[in-house]
Amino acid sequence: MKIAVISCIHGNYEALDAVLRDIDHQKAEKIFCLGDLVGYGPYPSNVVEMVRSLDIPTTQGCWDEDIVEGLNSCECSYPSMLAEKRGRLVHEWTNEHIYPETRAYLAALPKVIKEDNLAFVHGSPQSQHEYLLPELDGFIALERVLSTGADMLFCGHTHVPYVRTLDEGHLRLLVRTGAEVPEAKMREFNAPLKRIVNVGSVGEPRHGRPNATYVIYDTDCDRVTLREVEYDYQKTCAAIIERGLPPIFAWRLAHGLEFAERADDASHLCERGV
Amino acid sequence: MSHWAILSGIEANLAAYEAVLEDIKRQVPKVTELYILGDVINASAASEKVVERIRNPRIGELVPQVCKGWWEEQVMMLHGFVPDLEPNPLVEKYGAAGVKALWDSISKETVEWISNLHFAFMEFDCLLVHGSSLSVFEELTPESSPLLLLDRIARSNANRLFCGRSGQTFRYQIKDGSLNSHVLTLDAEEVSQTYNTSDRLGIGVGNVGGTPNIATYTIYSPNTDIVQFRTVRYGKSKGFGKI
Repeated sequence: MKIAVISCIHGNYEALDAVLRDIDHQKAEKIFCLGDLVGYGPYPSNVVEMVRSLDIPTTQGCWDEDIVEGLNSCECSYPSMLAEKRGRLVHEWTNEHIYPETRAYLAALPKVIKEDNLAFVHGSPQSQHEYLLPELDGFIALERVLSTGADMLFCGHTHVPYVRTLDEGHLRLLVRTGAEVPEAKMREFNAPLKRIVNVGSVGEPRHGRPNATYVIYDTDCDRVTLREVEYDYQKTCAAIIERGLPPIFAWRLAHGLEFAERADDASHLCERGV
Repeated sequence: MSHWAILSGIEANLAAYEAVLEDIKRQVPKVTELYILGDVINASAASEKVVERIRNPRIGELVPQVCKGWWEEQVMMLHGFVPDLEPNPLVEKYGAAGVKALWDSISKETVEWISNLHFAFMEFDCLLVHGSSLSVFEELTPESSPLLLLDRIARSNANRLFCGRSGQTFRYQIKDGSLNSHVLTLDAEEVSQTYNTSDRLGIGVGNVGGTPNIATYTIYSPNTDIVQFRTVRYGKSKGFGKI
């Protein structure tokens, strides 16, 4: 069975429409969405309505949470100071423009979805705000997958797609406990092969081109395909300006890259509790 | 040379704390620093006496460095210093009666003192904390996943993590390990990398006051990296010895 996994639509209805058509063309039987339906883009409520009407299982993203809980519900809401300054303006705009039922829908979204040996989250199982960057320490990345009990962890949040395979994980441990076992016991820990699949971003890509990205996973042949879909991004750029959003977000969308959104510290781990 | 005594979980048990202080005084080489990793108090009136004893060491005694524990965090939530959690851990564990008992037991002055306690201490390459680098509520044990322990140590940029939440004494060493990672992106060739790790320690420092007549704590020498667990028996079946 082919499943499609999308994330980070960010109020970009044009991009979502194009991706849904591509998913149809790829003959995917099921769609999962990893959140961030709103923010940055001009049509937050329309995007939410489309996802709801198609009954797509969806996890809560960091923007979705911030709209419900208030800005900076987590200290890692933004990867850099500049990103935070710009994000604040869009948060306020989105907060004013979404419908009450949209807010209620976002509030009810789960943080993690599990299906068979697959887990779906927005940022990481730890937090919607944590960035699982491809350069994150391999052991920490492995911990995130193992904490879900799944073999494959689908995430978004960074807006740049990748497939990361973690294999041949091995640790040697020496554990001594209290008075009962005075001699330390050597333990071996072997981790089975695990994968992290970052599905990129439908509506606010940052891989260097304005095209939407998402992922198709074929469960029968265990194959992950990173998809890149062209669409009329100029239409969304024009709507960003027409609807009164800061023009910088139209520029960002047109370039598919926002330097300020690159994390100040790629090794940063979210401090919020599980 | 530094020699640390590291305690946790006095839990308003003054007799246990006094017994441990006596044991610390007997140590050779001499203990140079005293750390208390939270849970000084609990929901009983005896808490105030322990706090008073800790805040006013006698002449010649070490000045304890205290960080917050599970109980101190409950006080912070109860008095609105930090946001409440849902579900509330105090209510879940002790019910409404526990909330009232804690409210009645802790004076305003002690609440103020607690509000100024640190979350953790970082000395040399050691993190000293009640739960973990993530939260006072997290319980690290000898059964914890080694990857979880690596994560909690990495979060604090430390090599050693001392904790007290479980109440157990344990020395959990990650001796070495390796892992392969392969990353495929839209544009680049697959990038492969091998990660290696070595010698990280998680140490459970024991519990002073939770079990009647038996207190456990830890002695650590950062210069030699030697961990020593101490058991102190007090009260009717008095006695002490190294384990």
